[in-house]
Amino acid sequence: MTLAIFLIVASAIALASILGVTVSRTLASAKGGVNELQPIDVEAFRNLVDPAEDEYLRRRLPAAEFRVVRRERLRAVAAYVRAAGTNAAMLVHIGQRAVASSDAQTAEAARRLVNDALLVRRNATLVLMKIYVVLAWPNSGLFAAPILAGYEQMSGAAMLLGRLQHPSVPVRTSAHW
Amino acid sequence: MNLLRAHSFIWHYLWLAPNILLLTLGVLLWRRGMHKLFPAFTAFAILSSFGQFAEYTADLSPVVSGTNYWRIHSADLILEGILKALLVAEIFAHTLGAYSSVAKAGKVLIRAVGAVLILAATFAAAYAPGDSPVAIVSQAHLLEQSIFLIETGLLVFIFLFSGYFRIRMPRPVLGIALGLAISACVHLAGWAFIANVAPSEDVRHLIDYFKAAVYHVCVLIWYYYLLVPQKLLVPQKEGTNLAVPLTSDHHLEVWNRELERLLHS
Repeated sequence: MTLAIFLIVASAIALASILGVTVSRTLASAKGGVNELQPIDVEAFRNLVDPAEDEYLRRRLPAAEFRVVRRERLRAVAAYVRAAGTNAAMLVHIGQRAVASSDAQTAEAARRLVNDALLVRRNATLVLMKIYVVLAWPNSGLFAAPILAGYEQMSGAAMLLGRLQHPSVPVRTSAHW
Repeated sequence: MNLLRAHSFIWHYLWLAPNILLLTLGVLLWRRGMHKLFPAFTAFAILSSFGQFAEYTADLSPVVSGTNYWRIHSADLILEGILKALLVAEIFAHTLGAYSSVAKAGKVLIRAVGAVLILAATFAAAYAPGDSPVAIVSQAHLLEQSIFLIETGLLVFIFLFSGYFRIRMPRPVLGIALGLAISACVHLAGWAFIANVAPSEDVRHLIDYFKAAVYHVCVLIWYYYLLVPQKLLVPQKEGTNLAVPLTSDHHLEVWNRELERLLHS
């Protein structure tokens, strides 16, 4: 009996969600337009996710304070990413209306737009998941890889420059950073 | 109540009418060349209705024993199961196939969902008490429950996945998916009740009639979405909506770069 109730409830939820998706999509199509795209400042976003700033804060702040600050920064990043995902969804909607255009160039441009927007939406979803993981462990170095790679690159370049300028002096870049 | 008994007029109508309509739809699709676009649905429309006619004949024929009827029923279920799997694959391909950026992720996810659903259907069948002392009857009902459980799960996944990404299904595909999903959900609930609760004959007949009536409505949904042409949308003013994509291409690239950088960090 329990199994029957479970399956009946599951099928009712399934039916409700399928009808919900269909009705909301039909209404959105009938409405024709889409909501305003949210303006997003890419530069401000870049600053927020700049691993150098995270590293700077990690070195300057006590561990507990750093965790609080990092969580706040991550929440701000999540808000940006969510807005980007929402904008992408609107662009998918707009692009799909133009895919059926009789003009081949417009149709092709629309298809490309939809593909790009879907990619943004997919990546935004994955990034959000990653942000939630980092929110749980703010000390983890999930977003630190680029700065490490950049650091290694910088170190390599510095060492090369050092060797070129002073061939007889051993160069130790790590002490500077 | 007599009208709701087996072999009443409504019983004959609800068994035959949806399948005659479905067969006609299959033939119409074939004649209009739409079978090239929807080969799995056309095959489903023609073959599943023939399967139902075979079952109907077996049910009425005095030379077919009860056991043989259930064997025919089980064989038809397996055929329908295969056709529905192909149909779900066709709906998925039409919905996501054109968009490479999510098609691969969608394929991976739907395979995972399919595997989980097969496991869930196996557990549900293993723990179901069965509704009949005759093994073949009980097994047929559990097979039916398993097929509808997997079918419903896969269709829900396609609807939710495309809904999340705001991907619009082409109109005929939406119709096929909607009809199939409504039928699957109602049949799943019906079979779950019958296979697990073993209700009285009267209640079982009522459930059977309800399922058949819903299937009839689903066939009509398929007619509407596949044969009635879509209303033309009011043409938009030049440059209203399309202006957004043209100016947004660059922003999308920038965002993709930023998000991928974060993803791979």
